[in-house]
Amino acid sequence: MSSAEKTLPQKREIALDPVTFEVLKNGFVNLVDQMAEQMLRTCYSFVIYNRDFSCALCDAEGNTVMQGTHDISVHVGTLHLTAKAVLEDFKGDIHPGDVFLVNDPYRGGTHFCDVRVVLPVFYEDKLIAFMQTNGHWADVGGSNPGSFDVKSRDHFGEGIRIPPVRIYSQGKYLSDVVNLLISNMRVPKERLGDLRSQVEAAKVGQKQLLELIQKYGIDTVLTAFKEVQDYVERLARKKIESLPEGTWETVDYIDMDPEIGDGLIPIKVKMTIKNNEILYDLSGSHPYISCFLNAGYGSALSGLYAGTKTFFPEIPLNSGFYRVVKAHLPENSVVNAPDPVAVTGFCSGAFEKIMNACFEIWSEIMPERAIACSFNLEYLLIGGYDHRNSSNNYFMWYDWMAGGHGGRIDRDGANATSPVFGVGLSVQPCEGQERLSPVITTKHEIITDSGGPGQFRGGCGLEKGGVLTDVFGGVMSYCCDRSRSVTWGIKGGLPSIPQGATLHPDTEKEQFLGTIFSNVPVKKGDSFTRVSAGGGGLGDPLKRDVNAVLEDVIDGYVSIDRARKDYGVVIKEIDRDLDLFEIDYEATKKEREYIRKNRKAWLNVCPYEVEKMYKNGEIDQLDVIRRYGVIMDYTTNQVLMKSTEQYRKAMMKRSLAYWD
Amino acid sequence: MITAKKRLAIDVGGTFTDVFVFDEETGEIFVTKTSSTPSNPEKGILEGIAKANISGEDIKVFSHGTTVGTNALIERKLPKTALITTKGFRDVIEIGNGTKKDIWDTYKDKARPYIRRRDRFEVTERTDYKGNILVPVNENEVRELARKLKKRGTESVAVCFINSYVNGENELRVKEILQEELPGAYVCISSEVLPEIFEHERMSTTVINAVLGPIMTSYIKKLEEEMHKRGYKDDILVLHSGGGVMTSSTVPRYAARLASSGIAAGAIASKHIAKICGYQNAIGLDMGGTSTDISLMYDGDIRITKNWAIEYGYPIGFPSIEILTIGAGGGSLAWIDEGGSMRNGPQSAGAYPGPACYGFGGTEPTNTDANLVLGRLNVELLGGSMKLDLEKAKQAVQKIADAFGYSIEEAANAIIEVANANMSDALRLISVRRGYDPREFALVAFGGAGPLHGAYLAKELNIPTVIIPPYPGVAAAMGCLLVDVRHDISKTYLKQASEVTLKQLLNEFESMQAEAKVLLQEEGISEEHSTLMNFIDLRYQGQWRSLAVPVSKNHASMEEILELFHREHEREFAYSDRNQNVEIFGLRVTAIGTVPKPEFPKYEPNGSIENALKGNREVYFDGRFVKTNIYDRDKIPVLSVIEGPAIIEQLDTTTVIPPKFTAKVDIYKNIIISVNQD
Repeated sequence: MSSAEKTLPQKREIALDPVTFEVLKNGFVNLVDQMAEQMLRTCYSFVIYNRDFSCALCDAEGNTVMQGTHDISVHVGTLHLTAKAVLEDFKGDIHPGDVFLVNDPYRGGTHFCDVRVVLPVFYEDKLIAFMQTNGHWADVGGSNPGSFDVKSRDHFGEGIRIPPVRIYSQGKYLSDVVNLLISNMRVPKERLGDLRSQVEAAKVGQKQLLELIQKYGIDTVLTAFKEVQDYVERLARKKIESLPEGTWETVDYIDMDPEIGDGLIPIKVKMTIKNNEILYDLSGSHPYISCFLNAGYGSALSGLYAGTKTFFPEIPLNSGFYRVVKAHLPENSVVNAPDPVAVTGFCSGAFEKIMNACFEIWSEIMPERAIACSFNLEYLLIGGYDHRNSSNNYFMWYDWMAGGHGGRIDRDGANATSPVFGVGLSVQPCEGQERLSPVITTKHEIITDSGGPGQFRGGCGLEKGGVLTDVFGGVMSYCCDRSRSVTWGIKGGLPSIPQGATLHPDTEKEQFLGTIFSNVPVKKGDSFTRVSAGGGGLGDPLKRDVNAVLEDVIDGYVSIDRARKDYGVVIKEIDRDLDLFEIDYEATKKEREYIRKNRKAWLNVCPYEVEKMYKNGEIDQLDVIRRYGVIMDYTTNQVLMKSTEQYRKAMMKRSLAYWD
Repeated sequence: MITAKKRLAIDVGGTFTDVFVFDEETGEIFVTKTSSTPSNPEKGILEGIAKANISGEDIKVFSHGTTVGTNALIERKLPKTALITTKGFRDVIEIGNGTKKDIWDTYKDKARPYIRRRDRFEVTERTDYKGNILVPVNENEVRELARKLKKRGTESVAVCFINSYVNGENELRVKEILQEELPGAYVCISSEVLPEIFEHERMSTTVINAVLGPIMTSYIKKLEEEMHKRGYKDDILVLHSGGGVMTSSTVPRYAARLASSGIAAGAIASKHIAKICGYQNAIGLDMGGTSTDISLMYDGDIRITKNWAIEYGYPIGFPSIEILTIGAGGGSLAWIDEGGSMRNGPQSAGAYPGPACYGFGGTEPTNTDANLVLGRLNVELLGGSMKLDLEKAKQAVQKIADAFGYSIEEAANAIIEVANANMSDALRLISVRRGYDPREFALVAFGGAGPLHGAYLAKELNIPTVIIPPYPGVAAAMGCLLVDVRHDISKTYLKQASEVTLKQLLNEFESMQAEAKVLLQEEGISEEHSTLMNFIDLRYQGQWRSLAVPVSKNHASMEEILELFHREHEREFAYSDRNQNVEIFGLRVTAIGTVPKPEFPKYEPNGSIENALKGNREVYFDGRFVKTNIYDRDKIPVLSVIEGPAIIEQLDTTTVIPPKFTAKVDIYKNIIISVNQD
């Protein structure tokens, strides 16, 4: 069986009749969704509650038979690796009633906070499957609340690493082991609640599987395990068969290695379609960097799977898909960082770069599903003591935002949507946050002009600002990216806006803090704000329908000023109270001609010249990026020469090459 | 003077308007269907009444379920409505929680907000989480805004401020100013609509209330006028999603509850039917042409949810009957995907072209085609007014047969088995998954296609009994007749259970009950017909979802209430933890104004089963065609027993009794099928 397993299933006959096959296939999805539903309704971590979790049914070899319908992208293609890690460490020593725990990113996991319960399922003393429930715990220890430390170069400061560990032995709960683990975490009682929730959810899956076996027989179910994987493989190959063979490549960037400074960190993605298979090669990607934005092997692989899957939304997720998509991830690189290099921030770092690079490549092959770059996942954490109501409790204000998604082939990008990291991940309500923490949200709104211009513009990004009330001993940390590798457009579209957080906005003390920092002291009365980018634009903005620009101006998605500068559309306000605006067609024609004539040259203006114009107030930040393609360090307002050179090169390929 | 004796229920669905008339005096029931007229919904209703041939003077009670609200929302045919929020928060309604329904398909977006950004305005004001007003409303700013709204021709305004669920003073002030400056406009404020935590959910509910308020108010008013012209004297009772009715007096305040008016009717009908058959636990299966609605009753109560929406991303926070809708119906298409797997739905042939056998040009096989090929459906439907084309059905099903090397019957059978499995998965989600044991339930199968599939679904889930009501095609309209006036008053109440005494809790409930009583009085419900029930939402401290537990004055202590919670947690999630602190999340008072309900007649056996036998035909069961008796349902005497295989035909549906299943007709003319569990 094992040798047959390894060879390609060339036109292997289906052994199950079509009805039993379809029934069991859907039954497996249903089983996984049942586990998810239970977890969602009983979890303790608000991160899980907001849907940062996934579940899977794996076979006895650890291969994923089925993932759930609502699993988030980032866990795709990593759950089988964890099951295999348990098998590797405990082979021959796995018994009915055992339960294992894993969070090890160097063993196929994502990051420490993603803690996985793996429950082996037995039938008549034979190991037949694993149920897996994976949830993002709010904290797993380490030097900072929320378990991320930008300054940590290795994982020792990031939280507790859990290689496959047994927590139930033949039905007996190993309280000493669990105690050891949760004693290293903040609010251990809640972590115990999460653990319980995940174990019970896995049992729900186990129960349902045993019922299926009772009904259909063990042989049928085990055959279905295999055939469901073969089916997904067949389906994927069939889809690929209709696509041209060839090789495509692109590069996306992480902003920087903080120790190096100026210079975007390349992640090179080369994809080949050949023999109904997809091969990714990330050779040439930068060596791992000095901050936690690196990805481990599992999460980089997950980025490739998720980036591919996005173009095949109807293919279910299991190991059959992974047989068709292969990857080479160079060792010791930013996309395959070894133990003990820090990788907790992979989600803001390498992961989303890999996904967006995949999007760009696939947009070439399947233009009908094209999508430009989307905003970057970010999360801000304020920790400290809550002195309201004469209490002194430790609080964690842990917040992530929605943002704009990339423009598409025939429509604008989606406004204010959760990151591609996991579109199912909910943002939190301010009213809940205000009860729990002494932080008042002052705005949560769409940013005018944040969508990257294009024939179809990117969706709009958001700004969320706040002020601290009775905080004592407060610190602020941020995990983000794309203040330099600004969210880009494709097929002639333009970039959106740089991301980053600002302290004391709109005051004399205003200070741009950038995208990654930790433990910045903050105190009562301090205000802060941050933005999520819009999506990149798709297509030449000068070809955008003038009426679409007008509608955007009426809704305040685009300003009159940028309508002229980005789209060359000149709009006059008649009466804003009545939404009366007028397009000046003559002026628009002229403006568009002017931009068309000059825009290629603008991308070659000396960056220092641009910096000067910016400092003089002749141009603004959006001009710097969209017109001149210049990257600046907005903490110092200095131009970044190397980053600009890299960014312009990419912009010429993605934007300028499509302009007439 | 004639006293009105007839109870009229009209449920307007997307395609058909169902009419159900019950004569209290004679016990007679009359049912009919007309086509719905979405552009002018009253028309279909009045046509239905005409078809029923009753005058307004004869009607004692008129209850009504309508899709007017649903259609207006989906089509965005809404009055000019403005949203006013706290400064910095006008986009909350567009941001929502950032998610969308289809998480993998980048080309499937969340629906756009009901109020466009140009119509969303902000004022300077702020209240903190404890209800302290940090920034009072600036009156001049609001007046200026009001004048702008007037200039823009605004008909309706939703106001939702941050933290107004604790203190609605600022919202109230804005409402007063708007009423002065914008006379005639419909104004609703979130602290009155739904004083519950979480700005998006509350804002979304308030917005939906605001956009539907003028529409529903004028629709009901117009309909009432038409009815009064025809001699009807009373209020129209309008069904809301919470499984109750309201009168036109409360429609303006709770218009959002009418966003999905009719959907609850089927669940209510199934509850009633199950109860008269002696079941306290039942699953309702309402299977139509394109979709199936599933509901669940446990211990006599239908499950309620607060997590629902007409369109994903725009929640309506009022409690609603929990309905699970799946894309499986008679018209669902069977197809083969690129991986070679046989699928069923969710795409449907719709009303046009419809199944291949309708002969309107459809060529792809549907469940209806498969049922026809298997002989389960007659080639004549609706009493002969509709003919099905067996040849066309066979041609369509042949595609599946060819792909898998099946005979045509095997292919048709496979199509039905896959459809049944998909529906069983959905049934499992709402039952087994929630800790309910299907073996303790009855399945009430209705809708045009429910009785065709019910027996097989019950078998799949080990449900012992299937009930097919007498008028499966108009069960929803019947449901409209069976509801009470119902209001739900809820609020957020975040406290440790250990901090609260039973007395404090009961005091809180008392003030909520006072509000509920006023509502019932407005509806003209006398005190003796009013029932008030208290519910408390509890969760283990640190958890994010809560469970509702009933609270009555009879509870001796908080501990007793907490014990109920532990048990409910145990039942639903298979574990509980009595050492864990419990937190209170919210309180709800449900006010029921009992309205007299029809008592359906019991019948005496009359005639013989032989008279009901129409003949026989070959029907495919268990791998072969079997000569099967075909019965005319209308002629089957009550208390008859029919052994499967048998087919029972009636105007609006066909019931399948598989071999070794036994059907009995009870005194209410329900068909009760005992499921063969071998």
